[in-house]
Amino acid sequence: MVSDIDMDIETEKIESDVRAILKNRGYSHIVSSVDRGIVTLVGSVTSWDEVVTLGYAVIQHQGITGIINNITVAGHDSYRSNIIHLEEKISTAEPLPDRADVVIIGGGVIGCFIARQLSRYDLTVILLEKESDVACGATKANNAQVHTGMGEKSGTKKKALCIQSWPRYEKITDELDVPYKKTGLLVVVTEDTLPSKIPSFISNPVSKYVLPYFIAREGKKVGDTPRIINRKALLEMEPHLTSRALAAVFMPQYAVVCPYSLTIALAENALMNGVKIFLETEVTDISVEDGNVTAVITDRGTVHTRYIINAAGVHADTVADYAGAREYTIHPRKGAILLFDAKMKEYVSHQLSELQLPQTEHTKGGGVLLTPEGNITWGPSAVEVPDKEDTSVTAEEIEAITEKYQKLVPDLPRSAVITYFAGCRAATYSEDFVIKASSMVKGFIHTAGIQSPGLTAAPAITDTVLDILREEGLTLKEQKQFCAQRKNPPRFSALSVEEKEELIETDSRYGRVVCRCEHVTEKEIIDAIHAPLPALTVDAIKRRTRAGMGRCQGGFCGSRVAAILARELHIPLETVTKKGTGSPLFTSRTKPGVEQ
Amino acid sequence: MKARIVVIGGGPAGLAAALSARQAGIPDTDIVIIERDMELGGILPQCIHHGFGNFIFGEMLTGPEYAQRFIDEIKKTDIQIFLNTMVLDITTEKRIHAVNSTDGLLCIQAESIILAMGCRERTRSQILIPGERPAGIYTAGTVQRYINMDGVMPGKDIVILGSGDVGLIMARRFTLEGSRVKGVYEIMPHPGGLTRNVVQCLEDYDIPLYLSHTVTSIRGTYRVEGVTVARVDEQLHPLKETEEFISCDTLILSVGLIPENELSQKVQVILDPVTGGPVVDEWMQTSVPGICACGNVVHVHDLADDVTEAARIAGKGAAYYLSDTLQKKSTPVSVTPGRNVRYVVPHLIRHHLLEDLTIYFRVCTIEKPVKIRISSDNTILLEKTKRIVKPPEMVKIRLPAEELQSVKKNITVEVVPQ
Repeated sequence: MVSDIDMDIETEKIESDVRAILKNRGYSHIVSSVDRGIVTLVGSVTSWDEVVTLGYAVIQHQGITGIINNITVAGHDSYRSNIIHLEEKISTAEPLPDRADVVIIGGGVIGCFIARQLSRYDLTVILLEKESDVACGATKANNAQVHTGMGEKSGTKKKALCIQSWPRYEKITDELDVPYKKTGLLVVVTEDTLPSKIPSFISNPVSKYVLPYFIAREGKKVGDTPRIINRKALLEMEPHLTSRALAAVFMPQYAVVCPYSLTIALAENALMNGVKIFLETEVTDISVEDGNVTAVITDRGTVHTRYIINAAGVHADTVADYAGAREYTIHPRKGAILLFDAKMKEYVSHQLSELQLPQTEHTKGGGVLLTPEGNITWGPSAVEVPDKEDTSVTAEEIEAITEKYQKLVPDLPRSAVITYFAGCRAATYSEDFVIKASSMVKGFIHTAGIQSPGLTAAPAITDTVLDILREEGLTLKEQKQFCAQRKNPPRFSALSVEEKEELIETDSRYGRVVCRCEHVTEKEIIDAIHAPLPALTVDAIKRRTRAGMGRCQGGFCGSRVAAILARELHIPLETVTKKGTGSPLFTSRTKPGVEQ
Repeated sequence: MKARIVVIGGGPAGLAAALSARQAGIPDTDIVIIERDMELGGILPQCIHHGFGNFIFGEMLTGPEYAQRFIDEIKKTDIQIFLNTMVLDITTEKRIHAVNSTDGLLCIQAESIILAMGCRERTRSQILIPGERPAGIYTAGTVQRYINMDGVMPGKDIVILGSGDVGLIMARRFTLEGSRVKGVYEIMPHPGGLTRNVVQCLEDYDIPLYLSHTVTSIRGTYRVEGVTVARVDEQLHPLKETEEFISCDTLILSVGLIPENELSQKVQVILDPVTGGPVVDEWMQTSVPGICACGNVVHVHDLADDVTEAARIAGKGAAYYLSDTLQKKSTPVSVTPGRNVRYVVPHLIRHHLLEDLTIYFRVCTIEKPVKIRISSDNTILLEKTKRIVKPPEMVKIRLPAEELQSVKKNITVEVVPQ
């Protein structure tokens, strides 16, 4: 037991130590305060780098469990002006219900996983998402890896939940009919693995014979069955690999899952089982009475509830603030990925990751990786950015990614890149998942700081959240009609000749190819528009059908997809959007003709 | 189903090739055209500006009018046409797998194939423009379709990157529709399109053209809010200190066209890395016997008229292949680019010539005044003076058949100063 007096003494010590840390670094003007192990920093500096560096400097101190970093950058002005007003939103959704047992904030993979799991029980659950589709944040812009957790630090929630989760993916993706592939990962040791200051007559034998042993041992610890591969066998497995490769360890349990397909499937399955999902619905405040949450206030109305799950990704700290339950700051760490034309797939057959020592939190992970569809990717990068909605890919990032990953498979030409994208990791200063009931506000549950391996760990994160809900007093009684199965509509290009013929026989619209690069048919697009979670935008259709994901990037099919959307939704063509309100494809009709 | 000649693509190249094969003696019913769109004409129906047909018909037509001339011809024949039909695969045995909604999956066994799939536009990603991914970034050809066929306007305040012909034409089109084109930015020190288009589409409408400039970033969460432009140095690297933000709601890209050879690659047709299209001989035959190619699938043309001309040769080439008319030379003669020549089409001469040969080529850099010299084994076969040569303007040289009959060694095409 820790007495209040012990706590006060501990707090005072942390307070003085934090002041010393700030003073030593020349930031004595930054004001700090400590409450229950959580340090709040307030003040102003001249660059974002300083903000992030100070956060990390303070968290190193023992006894600190979280950092609320409210340091601002003097003169920093976010350009993001296009905040969308409610009156502009295309409101197809029904009004919010007055009351729900549980409200989930955020429709990323975590929010949707929790929604689906809660739909097993006799509860009214609603999920709120501010964008026009689920999976619009970090969920859609990552490497799609199902990690085994071997790279994670021991003792972290990240590692524990990742190890619990990865063996469950085969069943989950099977139930939900989601692309999943056990590709295996080759952790490659090269002449560049050890720092160049070590002479090669030492570093090469160490890399070749010693490191693989240690890598394999890490793999075994998390339940994988690693195999050390010598150079010759490695180059047979991956003929295009750099000649600087010395050896590798093959981790057969590594897999890929399409993260947005998974999230869409989870959302659809949750919907089928009674969860209500409200898109383009932004949380603006949370009501708390006598230390209990009572309602979520959105731009579409108020929902009364006793349980709120904060799955708001990069915005989790803002949402926690609404409830007065903030214990952390999310500092977005942007990761950009370059994606290659599917026709380059012969260059790489396994996930490839080059070991680079020493490792840091910012550089580990990434590689020359494969998507479930077989596209090769380079990345991700890791850049601290002040703006949570910043998904830009800068020239510097493109160059840095090229420099880092091109050398692993040198003859893969960068000219075959067909697209690039970025997402922001929801990093906290403690660099671990925050999954717990708020100690300040009853009924408010954090699932924050979910970055890699968050996609993999989602099933166990969900279990943890359900356990917390039970502890917090929510009764989870199974509902009889729950159905765990969800079927994806047919994907024409993946079928055999006989199956294709049969489909066209049943519906001739399967014979009309709309997307020429990915061979997506009109019926598949119509299916997506009329799915349980309807695809209402060009990007939503792209994520569900792959129309526009090929080498021409929608140059040919964009206008056809827009026309089908307009027709099926009975809306004028000029109101079709790329990704919801504020992103119209068109500004008006052309000039009207003269009436004859 | 079987066919002697299957033409893939019903654009200007495919139509002219089919008609020419027919004229060379192939019966109508042995010729099939497969078109993936709902109508014939390829890209021409959306090209409502004029400037087509000067060469072939001696008059200035619009794109749809030019296409219609060929469509009318085709309609008079019994050539089989499959519309709304997408070719999914071609096998090395010349079996073509296609799909449409009326016949379902089709399998056509061809004796000869004419590849006429045209080209596609280079995208934002292929030139690695940094920034965000909002709505409002389009290629020039795509907006041409939106405006001219679908009747919708993609934007009000426009910045155009690249001065390819379609981009220039769309600058004018946007202006006529009441949008404001803030400028056309071209990374090269010279325009990418034809001079006539620079004059008629930009200068006539006071649209500024900024040479040696590029877009270095795109801003906007949901819809484009603006772009950053910068001057580039001689190595085409943007100069940071010249960066300037231009607010706009639309960025149009006219940054090049890429021959569409995904199907060609399935039958192992050898491609020229410079043109991105198949290596062809004087009858537009590719490296695979019986497979010809023509139009923008071979190399990107400036004028539809040139496409028609080349396609007529391909049609004959396919017909002659089937009738075994052509007499092979003992060794093929290659036609190679020399000084200030980027590429030459055809790439080689394989047979004894039956008619004069037209050589098409593009230069690497602007040069004036020049001599175009075609030679073999130190013998000059032809020399022609030209006031100026520019990369955007394809050069066409006709070589009399008799000049070439005796040539045994490689032919070099070069541009030399006068």
